[in-house]
Amino acid sequence: MREYNIVITGVGGQGVLTAANILGWAALRAGYKVRLGEVHGMSQRFGSVISYVRFGEDVYGSMVPEGKADVMLSFEPVEALRYINYLKEGGMAVINTKPIVPVQVSMGMAKYPSLDEIRRIFEEDFKAKWIGFNAEELAEKAGHVVTTNTVLIGALTQIPEFPLDAEHVREVIKISVPPKAVDVNMKAFDLGIQAAKDILGL
Amino acid sequence: MAKVSDIVLWDKPGEKVLLLGNQAIARGALEANIAVYAAYPGTPSSELTDTMAAVAEKAGVYMEYSTNEKVAFETALAAAWSGLRAMTAMKHVGLNVAADTFMSAVGMGVEGGFVIMVADDPSMWSSQNEQDTRVYAKFANVPVLEPADPHEAKEMTKYAFELSEKFKHFVILRTTTRTSHARGDVVLGELPEEIKQGKRKFGKFKKDPSRFVDVPANARNFHPIILEKIEKIREELNNCPFNWIEGKEDAKVGIIAPGLSYAYVKEALAWLGVDNVKILKLGTPFPVPYGLLEKFLEGLEKVLIVEELEPVVEEQVKTWAYDKGITIPIHGKDLVPRIYEMTTRRAVTAIAKFLGVETPINFEELDAKYEKVKPLLPPRPPSLCPACPHRNSFYAIKKATKGKAIYPSDIGCYTLGLLPPLQAVDTTVAMGASIGIAHGLSIAQNGSLSEEQKSPEKQVIVATIGDSTFYHTGLPALANAIYNRSNVLVVVLDNLVTAMTGDQPNPSTGQTPHGMGKRIPIEDVAKAMGADFVAVVDPYDIKTTYETMKKALEVEGVSVVVARQPCALYKVGQMRRRGMTWPIYQVNEEKCTGCRVCINAYGCPAIYWDEEKRQARVEPTMCWGCGGCAQVCPFGAFEPVKEGAE
Repeated sequence: MREYNIVITGVGGQGVLTAANILGWAALRAGYKVRLGEVHGMSQRFGSVISYVRFGEDVYGSMVPEGKADVMLSFEPVEALRYINYLKEGGMAVINTKPIVPVQVSMGMAKYPSLDEIRRIFEEDFKAKWIGFNAEELAEKAGHVVTTNTVLIGALTQIPEFPLDAEHVREVIKISVPPKAVDVNMKAFDLGIQAAKDILGL
Repeated sequence: MAKVSDIVLWDKPGEKVLLLGNQAIARGALEANIAVYAAYPGTPSSELTDTMAAVAEKAGVYMEYSTNEKVAFETALAAAWSGLRAMTAMKHVGLNVAADTFMSAVGMGVEGGFVIMVADDPSMWSSQNEQDTRVYAKFANVPVLEPADPHEAKEMTKYAFELSEKFKHFVILRTTTRTSHARGDVVLGELPEEIKQGKRKFGKFKKDPSRFVDVPANARNFHPIILEKIEKIREELNNCPFNWIEGKEDAKVGIIAPGLSYAYVKEALAWLGVDNVKILKLGTPFPVPYGLLEKFLEGLEKVLIVEELEPVVEEQVKTWAYDKGITIPIHGKDLVPRIYEMTTRRAVTAIAKFLGVETPINFEELDAKYEKVKPLLPPRPPSLCPACPHRNSFYAIKKATKGKAIYPSDIGCYTLGLLPPLQAVDTTVAMGASIGIAHGLSIAQNGSLSEEQKSPEKQVIVATIGDSTFYHTGLPALANAIYNRSNVLVVVLDNLVTAMTGDQPNPSTGQTPHGMGKRIPIEDVAKAMGADFVAVVDPYDIKTTYETMKKALEVEGVSVVVARQPCALYKVGQMRRRGMTWPIYQVNEEKCTGCRVCINAYGCPAIYWDEEKRQARVEPTMCWGCGGCAQVCPFGAFEPVKEGAE
């Protein structure tokens, strides 16, 4: 495989960097050349964030160019839409549909678009496949809301032709979370897998 | 996966690991047998310093968080004068702080290898300007090495020490955000015995006043020495392992790609499906090795230089070509933007134009489609964290001044007090500048207290500055304001760490990475300097904080109020690790009148507006339990309802 490109988007503090790191290690252990791109510092404080995960035999820069992402993993619907131009035509978007309303919206300075409208833009205007579900609810079901990113990673492993083996990704999560959090994360991972399977009809 | 601090110390040569560019540089410094490391944190350089902090004791390296870049530079420089391998790191604007020592000491050279790591931030993801350190390097006649990926960053660090030692000259290792904050596969090399055993290395300073005392008589000798050294280094770099020519030998077109631009060029060529070009990969954008350049240009009919920011390589290449009578077209900044960071898209677009071919994606079409999405996107700028004690400090300042004062502020996460609804930041320039600007405003608007003539209209000035910034460059500015009888209120937003860059310690923390340092309370410094009013407040107690601000504003002269509470992000992280919980506030629907004070005046990101019920709500996953909302709400609608997450 020459290259596989993932963009991960969300709100600073949601675990975007952690998710990127887990996928990066899984790709490294699968023998690929790996590049991850991220932003630290002030830009991370509850603002909009994007991280890049790239792997394959032929990867160089750490940023995915616009129009070249095979998949988008998004922790928040508006943050998915904000970076929609990174997805390639026919790309896949795995999206947590639970919104985090920005202060500017609460203050009445801006509007939050409807979920239906966001989905329509993905499917119709950008010809992308929409795999949206409330991952936070599933994380709570697994035992803790902080496992939302594990739920989403689980779902990601189920999309067609995803080059990393779900069990390999699971192993990396197992060794990267604190020992007492392993069980709840494994449960979250499984719930994510099931959610994607249900949506994709697998 | 193992902890990064363990990986960086692994004695496993040949092992392939995933490291952040900055972590890879730390490993490179260890493989080079570094002895002394000193730095002040600044994004995007900080993780290099944090990694050194995490491994220094085990590796026998002396490491410190210095109070600013200039003193860090001097600490490391003196160690290099003593024959040790030493390193300092900073962000691009940090080099401005260290520039005084940097420019003067470069002529003195070093004994042990001395590497200055400078992380530039093209596109200003976390910075107040966009400056190209390669221009500084050229200004000072110091060679600059620029890696194309994390593994090369590690290897280059080792080479930088060797080059510095060989020529007894400073060497700059320059990264950008996209190398410092890129993770990539890095192959570990050998660690020296001393590092493995954690043996601290000590140096010896040999006195030589003709070299180390910068009086004009000595300094006059330095400039020719510097120029001679840089030309010798230019020669040496013809054989630098990070400079090479690749691609079709008989190609008629060539591309010069310095540093990280090499990665973008390689990707762009693959994406375009073009292979009939010759590439000059340059790991040393200054000085450009002319021998290699000459070899590269042989047989070429046109050349494109793909470089980020300033035309540093372009100017060297064009000047040299002109002198040699080479007249082939040399493109650069006519096709590659001079502002913001390089991207693959930019490289693809420039190369396509240069070769007269189509881009693989119709970017204009994609942009047009995206333009229609943009109006739907609510802005989501970064914000002060939930439970940030200094949301309360700003809130109290605004209330005490009825929003009518001038608010000079400083560099740190609290600069985010700029945003609505707080809007309590009117100026931010550079580290420590808030107090200097406040004093200047006081003199300009009201006059000095020691003067007889004063402005009939008094403008109130309230400066804000963080604890780390206070010790960085706030100290001389405060001394100046007090000495010159300024009339300002300085509020030190003390959260006991350098929060924005990742919770590094500073004199207000007291603790160093290796144990106890000596804590310096800010109020003691203000008192010793002779401030006219000094008080310490707990910003979680909004009423008292407000009352203290009122009192301070009544005092003529320089008032200093220290608002002290630990950084919420830091505190919550520690509580999580210890399995501790905190109260989560929620809105009592019976009591909330929908007045929006909590949103329109306080602005905690955990509070949002429920459009249907026309009431405020708390997002439980974001509440860190400070209770500020309960103090701000006029109707007592916020109540702690349950213990928060572990």
